[in-house]
Amino acid sequence: MLLIYEPHDAYTGDNGEALLMEIVGKHMALSQDLEQNGVLLGGDGLQGVETATTVATGEGGVQTLHDGPFAETREQLGGYYVVEVADLDQALAWARKVPVAVGGKVEVRPVMIY
Amino acid sequence: MDVGAAIIGARARVVSALAARFRDLDLAEDAFSDAALTALAVWPADPPRDPAAWLWRASLRKALDATRRMATRTRAVFDDPAPEPTPEDIVMQSDTPIPDERLRLIFVCCHPALAPEARAALTLKVVCGLSTERLARAFLVAEPAMLQRITRAKRKIAGAGVSFEVPARAAWPERLGAVLATLEIAYAQAYEDAALAGDGADFAAEVLRLSGLLVELVPDDPEVLGLAALVRFAEARRAARLDRDGGMIPLSEQDVRAWDSGLIAQGARLLDRAAAYRRTGACQILAAIHGAHLSRRDSGVTPWPTIVRLYEALRVLRPGPVTAVNRAVALGMAQGVEAGLDALAAAPADGRLDRWLPWQAARAWLLEEAGRNEEARAAYDAALALDPAPAERLYFLRRREAISAPEG
Repeated sequence: MLLIYEPHDAYTGDNGEALLMEIVGKHMALSQDLEQNGVLLGGDGLQGVETATTVATGEGGVQTLHDGPFAETREQLGGYYVVEVADLDQALAWARKVPVAVGGKVEVRPVMIY
Repeated sequence: MDVGAAIIGARARVVSALAARFRDLDLAEDAFSDAALTALAVWPADPPRDPAAWLWRASLRKALDATRRMATRTRAVFDDPAPEPTPEDIVMQSDTPIPDERLRLIFVCCHPALAPEARAALTLKVVCGLSTERLARAFLVAEPAMLQRITRAKRKIAGAGVSFEVPARAAWPERLGAVLATLEIAYAQAYEDAALAGDGADFAAEVLRLSGLLVELVPDDPEVLGLAALVRFAEARRAARLDRDGGMIPLSEQDVRAWDSGLIAQGARLLDRAAAYRRTGACQILAAIHGAHLSRRDSGVTPWPTIVRLYEALRVLRPGPVTAVNRAVALGMAQGVEAGLDALAAAPADGRLDRWLPWQAARAWLLEEAGRNEEARAAYDAALALDPAPAERLYFLRRREAISAPEG
């Protein structure tokens, strides 16, 4: 799984809109590339963290709801791809191709096999 | 025959071949240990013709046994259908030589997905067979912490899907860079170790061997050659680095007769080979700096202007406080102490430079060279306050004492 994190203010500047369009265009190209290589299992962009609600489970299974993401950080999870490849090196090669704004990070995590 | 040496000599090859075959570092290490134990018991009475081949067959059998036991246990739980026949018989009967998978294993242990410190420890553990206890001593951490570092790295390799293949040539600049960085860390540890505990020679010998092995496996990379040269040049001075009381002797004051001419010659040959590729890199420059210092053996003087130029080149590739401090010292020797002190003051800082021992030590030395004894004494005091290792402590104490003596 390729988890995409970007700075919360990546697309808020003067060129924000243009930059966003550019990145979105690159995502579409990447999706195509992934599909043509037969490695794409899924993926989505996520709406902003202002739309996030977190369910927290405490002692004795008591659950509470919090407004916002589970952690307030500068970088926010903005979307993900799920790809099926042979090894970490291949996953990393795809991760390098994920378009992000400056300061963006892509975390590669294997999916648990049950 | 020397049973211990034969086992150590065969280890990298056998463990690599097992790891490549089973894609499991623990299994490979355990199977080799088991086979080595058997060898210790059997060989004295019945020495094998080819110890490596003997160990390869014996560990292969142990590894296959272990995987079969694991499969049996799994079947007992999940009630799977009968297992496929193992290829054991075919393998055990054939006389195929041990495949050389050492480079694969080195690439696995030095994968950039692992933390650099973990890579160095893991490589020395798996490829060289150093014990966790020995590694803990060398890396100055408690044994449980070292064990955890290694366990975590192995788990990451298995869990993250690190490939057991030699990476494609296109990926070599990065991957080989990670291998070289790993060996550099391992050697830095071995180098420190000598001054600290005095028993670093065996550890350094492993890194020496490992850097030589890498040259054997990747003979056409100038940086691989550069690193091997660097390690040899630095090791050549081992016997000259400490005085009889265990105090540090700085490079420019070491007795050149105590330097190892065999290692110096080896290093020079490697560096010559590297230079032929005309692709400079940090390891080659560092080796050249060591080589310049060693040239004092023949010429009687340290070529400081050359060393300054080499540090300028290194600064482009490795800007940072370490390069800056070393360059400042060389500059002070080549162009006068003031130039050195100015450069020192302008060094880039990760944190507060005056709290950083190499910086403080360099300053003290330059001030002393300038005859500014009052300031030098204060700088030595500051260095001593930063908790130096015993060998360095002794050195600083002596310098301070020397300049505190009444003058004239």
